[in-house]
Amino acid sequence: MKRTSEESQSRLPDNSALKQQQLPAYRLQLTATGVLSGFFATGVFCLGVGIILILSAKSIKEIEIKYTKICGNCAKLREDATNFDKECTCSIPFYLSETMQGNVYMYYKLYGFYQNLYRYILSRSNSQLMGTDLKIVNKEKDVGTCAPFSRSHDGTPIAPCGAIANSIFNDTIILSYNLNSSIPIEVPMLRSGITWWTDKYVKFQNPRSKNLSIAFAGTTKPPSWAKPVYELDQEDPENNGFLNDDFIVWMRAAAFPTFKKLYRRLNRIQYFTEGLPAGNYSFNITYNFPVTRFRGEKSVVLSTLTWSGGSNLFLGLAYTVTGAVTWLAFFSMMAIHLMLKDRKNTVQTCI
Amino acid sequence: GNTAVEVREELRKAKENLFGQNRSSSNGHVVFEKQQLELDSVVEETITGDYALIINGHSLAHALESDVKNDLLELACMCKTVVCCRVTPLQKAQVVELVRNYRNAVTLAIGDGANDVSMIKSAHIGVGISGQEGLQAVLASDYSFAQFRYLQRLLLVHGRWSYFRMCKFMCKFLGYFFYKNFAFTLVHFWFGFFCGFSAQTVYDQWFITLFNIVYTSLPVLAMGIFDQDVSDQNSMDYPQLYKPGQLNLLFNKRQFFICMAHGIYTSLALFFIPYGAFYNVAGEDGQHIADYQSFAVTMATSLVIVVSVQIALDTSYWTVINHVFIWGSIATYFSILFTMHSNGIFGIFPNQFPFVGNV
Repeated sequence: MKRTSEESQSRLPDNSALKQQQLPAYRLQLTATGVLSGFFATGVFCLGVGIILILSAKSIKEIEIKYTKICGNCAKLREDATNFDKECTCSIPFYLSETMQGNVYMYYKLYGFYQNLYRYILSRSNSQLMGTDLKIVNKEKDVGTCAPFSRSHDGTPIAPCGAIANSIFNDTIILSYNLNSSIPIEVPMLRSGITWWTDKYVKFQNPRSKNLSIAFAGTTKPPSWAKPVYELDQEDPENNGFLNDDFIVWMRAAAFPTFKKLYRRLNRIQYFTEGLPAGNYSFNITYNFPVTRFRGEKSVVLSTLTWSGGSNLFLGLAYTVTGAVTWLAFFSMMAIHLMLKDRKNTVQTCI
Repeated sequence: GNTAVEVREELRKAKENLFGQNRSSSNGHVVFEKQQLELDSVVEETITGDYALIINGHSLAHALESDVKNDLLELACMCKTVVCCRVTPLQKAQVVELVRNYRNAVTLAIGDGANDVSMIKSAHIGVGISGQEGLQAVLASDYSFAQFRYLQRLLLVHGRWSYFRMCKFMCKFLGYFFYKNFAFTLVHFWFGFFCGFSAQTVYDQWFITLFNIVYTSLPVLAMGIFDQDVSDQNSMDYPQLYKPGQLNLLFNKRQFFICMAHGIYTSLALFFIPYGAFYNVAGEDGQHIADYQSFAVTMATSLVIVVSVQIALDTSYWTVINHVFIWGSIATYFSILFTMHSNGIFGIFPNQFPFVGNV
């Protein structure tokens, strides 16, 4: 059977570059000079960044005082939950040998508290915290995720619901300075400006109403809280209700079981315009948050900061080590390359 | 010969002649010719010297009987070429099946007519020639083209490229999938030590959904379609390049384990370096940056970048499409990231997109 030329042409594949695997392309050839210069540049970059980071981290002053053991009697008191209405304070004196220049930040640090547990992170209601769905009536699944902290015994919804809100850190820490060994004065601290901008202005909103206690009517406080949410800061309406800075900071779940969260910032007025002067200080802590049941620990941290963040040497070290290893590779490859370059032009067939 | 016994005799004699001196016999219908004197090294199936076996359909019918076919197979495999003439289609298929079942070899059958269809179907790879004899062979085959000489290009260029793309250096198409998924998944194993083994994911849920579909699928697809190690002209000029495919050098257990180890090492670096960096850190204005969401975003971003750079290093033939897919995947990741973390989408779906403000 004869084929017409037309028919045989119709089965011919397209002669386009795409279908004939002839697209214009760059064939990457890794030459010795290219690779060696790349490694050298990478090594220089990593070493440079690493050294800068290490120097910057070293310039930070940080003081940490663990107070679970020091306040041992308070810790024992709090192990029993029926003692919740007994107040317990403890005072920790310490000496600051050098002035902490610049802005000083006070953190509370927890050890062994797993804010990154799966059920824990899930246990919140973002729509309630935005103020739109306060009584979580509409979304069935929110009630599920906030459980068991979604409704109280008599069925009233809890605001704010969830395990993260219920476990809020409720110690109060006050820093005092012993001026001239006489009456200690309280170091002025700022409560504001410790949260992310988007948290304070987008993610957390109070329900709309003139009066917060009316806005939260029909809800009840979480079981572990002493005060309802609209009484967290009666003096400042911007810091009350869901907008309370300490509450917002706590609700941002930490990534690891050891974490520190910003508590207060130094208010640079009176004696503290340059920072914290050297001298005798003390922490007065109202101990409320129980940690001994799960063998955790609490501590207070005072720290200055730089552009590269807190005193964490790890990143600087990692960069330096990478830079050093890259340079090591560079030198060994350079040595091999120079050795082999002397062998002239032996043409070898492909494999 | 005319009976099975005769054929068997001829085969046996031929085999002996293979080890013997220069002798040719032309008895019956089995013709055995020695083209070159062979040396005395008698190793089974490694006969030096070029021999050809010519057998016609009538004798083949006897030779393919169950008690004789092993002899035929041994003899045929010792020869460089076997010519079977005047055979029926069924016998063609039987010969191919004989080689396929009793020898550890990949078989290819090529033919152009309807009588070749059964042979084409019984081989591993069937190639049909479209032309004078009609389309029957083409319809039954895996590959088809118009002239017999294109078989060279099919094997040496396209077949070789295909093997190379799948397997070379363990991290082309197949190895790459294992590598990126090991890097992606094993970080959860390391994170388990730090989250109380509560199965908390390191990445946010949208990233997990989109990772394999959107962020990393296209670059490897482009590599699988377009990658070439040598040009097609060089592949044809140097047929020795075909050997690694035949010897299965590029994808075996060892390469696979190397690939797995690479993935495990990547996951270790991907997890522990951000872990150390985030461990005791605070932002420059004191604010909390060691939170879970920031950590998740950092991990996800570094994973996408590392995996894309890995495939960029593996690609040896950069077409425009490769560039677009690789850099486009990274760009897509960032644009989706910015969208998901924006205030607007949080307002609409607060519970689906809780990562507002992270970027």
